[in-house]
Amino acid sequence: MILKNIKLIVVLMMSMLTTSAVFAQDDVGLTAKQVVEKFQSELIAVMKDGKKLGYAGRYEKLSEPISNSHDLTKIARIVVGKEWEKLSEDQQQKLTDIFIRLSISSYAHNFKDYSGESFGFDSEEETTRGGVVVHTHLVIPNDKPVKFDYMLKEKGNSWRIINIIANGVSDLALKRSEYTTILQREGFEVLMTKINEKIDSYSKL
Amino acid sequence: MPINVNSSINIRLKVISVSLVMAVALAACATTTGVEHATNKDDPYENVNRAMYHFNDKLDDYLAAPVSKVYNKVTPQFARTGVFNFFSNLKNINVIVNDALQAKFMQGARDSGRFLLNSTLGLGGFVDVATDTGLDLNVEDFDQTLAVWGVPAGSYLVLPIIGPSTMRGIPGAAFDVAANPSTYLGVPIQLVSLLNTRATAEGSLKFIDEASLDPYVFTRESFLQWRNNLATDGKSESSMDFGDDLDELNSGTKQSGAKIEPAPQDISKTKHKLELLAPLQ
Repeated sequence: MILKNIKLIVVLMMSMLTTSAVFAQDDVGLTAKQVVEKFQSELIAVMKDGKKLGYAGRYEKLSEPISNSHDLTKIARIVVGKEWEKLSEDQQQKLTDIFIRLSISSYAHNFKDYSGESFGFDSEEETTRGGVVVHTHLVIPNDKPVKFDYMLKEKGNSWRIINIIANGVSDLALKRSEYTTILQREGFEVLMTKINEKIDSYSKL
Repeated sequence: MPINVNSSINIRLKVISVSLVMAVALAACATTTGVEHATNKDDPYENVNRAMYHFNDKLDDYLAAPVSKVYNKVTPQFARTGVFNFFSNLKNINVIVNDALQAKFMQGARDSGRFLLNSTLGLGGFVDVATDTGLDLNVEDFDQTLAVWGVPAGSYLVLPIIGPSTMRGIPGAAFDVAANPSTYLGVPIQLVSLLNTRATAEGSLKFIDEASLDPYVFTRESFLQWRNNLATDGKSESSMDFGDDLDELNSGTKQSGAKIEPAPQDISKTKHKLELLAPLQ
């Protein structure tokens, strides 16, 4: 009887461990292409429910998929370029936190409803520095498709998106120019204020 | 996501017709001022450019936007689309000329087919029937031709009324204006073209305001990237791989504000990009 109970407990513990492992290592073991496709399908799913969810609902639903598929900490660092080193640890942490909020709210704002859009995979290629670029396109009914190229880097055991290039325009390069310019011309506090205002306007529009 | 930005920048560039003389004057003036605060090597005249950007912005706020609002109210959507198609069709002649100058003969043949189809079955260009038959609109202009011939873009410039450009963009625009039949249709027709272009750009301009923290930098970066992407037919991989950028950040050797150099790429691997962006070549 005792043996049976121990067996049961072990089985239970094993299954719990497996479940938690699945949750904790959401995108572990996926290829770069799979990370992108998983994220895109999650995005489309949120768009389909977009109106019903509202901004807050979309933000909540997208939060985990975005954090699991993007390396937002690294992106936050790249977008301020060399200015990163001039920031205090406290400022670096503040910037990273607010940048994560901005990224999710930007998705929640821009992908608010669904009118038949779908993503298609084109190809993938390795870059010379160990990254992978996944080329996809967004099909929009009655409009020209938009090319979406995802640049991914390996972080631990998983692939993470660090840049998105839409029709040849790099989101990272764009943000980097904006952020470094504001830091150089107006300083850290102004950058924080501007990002906060942006998040605020995304939540209202 | 900068989805609509390209078309907006394109449209701003399209608002060409008025003051090339002023443009040249500005370029001359720009060579003597604004250098001391430069932070971006592509934009050494940032201070002058910013001033011009704000001038254009105010001009848009107080003149172009209100007029365009009225125009939007009094004309139905199908009329605006028709007018847009008409001018877009006339511009095809310039596209075909530049196809030839860049030795894109297959694309030139298809663009000629597009022009003929839209000019006849498309009722003089008002209806875009060619796109439905697979003859998509291509964007080719003399600035791209100069790029293909190896002329560097030069510094970024914001021109009065016209908006974003580069040093190379000035002769490029002069050629395009000369090669566009609508230039010779008289001032009233050109005003309609301008008005319709501005009205069509409404959504894109709103997007810039919405997406950017610094609209000037946002416009400059998306313009330069978009032009580079067009000039290289999507082959350019610049700004895609930030790996070396991070390495340099760690070692602290990178100059602030310097442009990220493109990662070396195997062109054969990016062939599909050519097919996607310019399927008619």
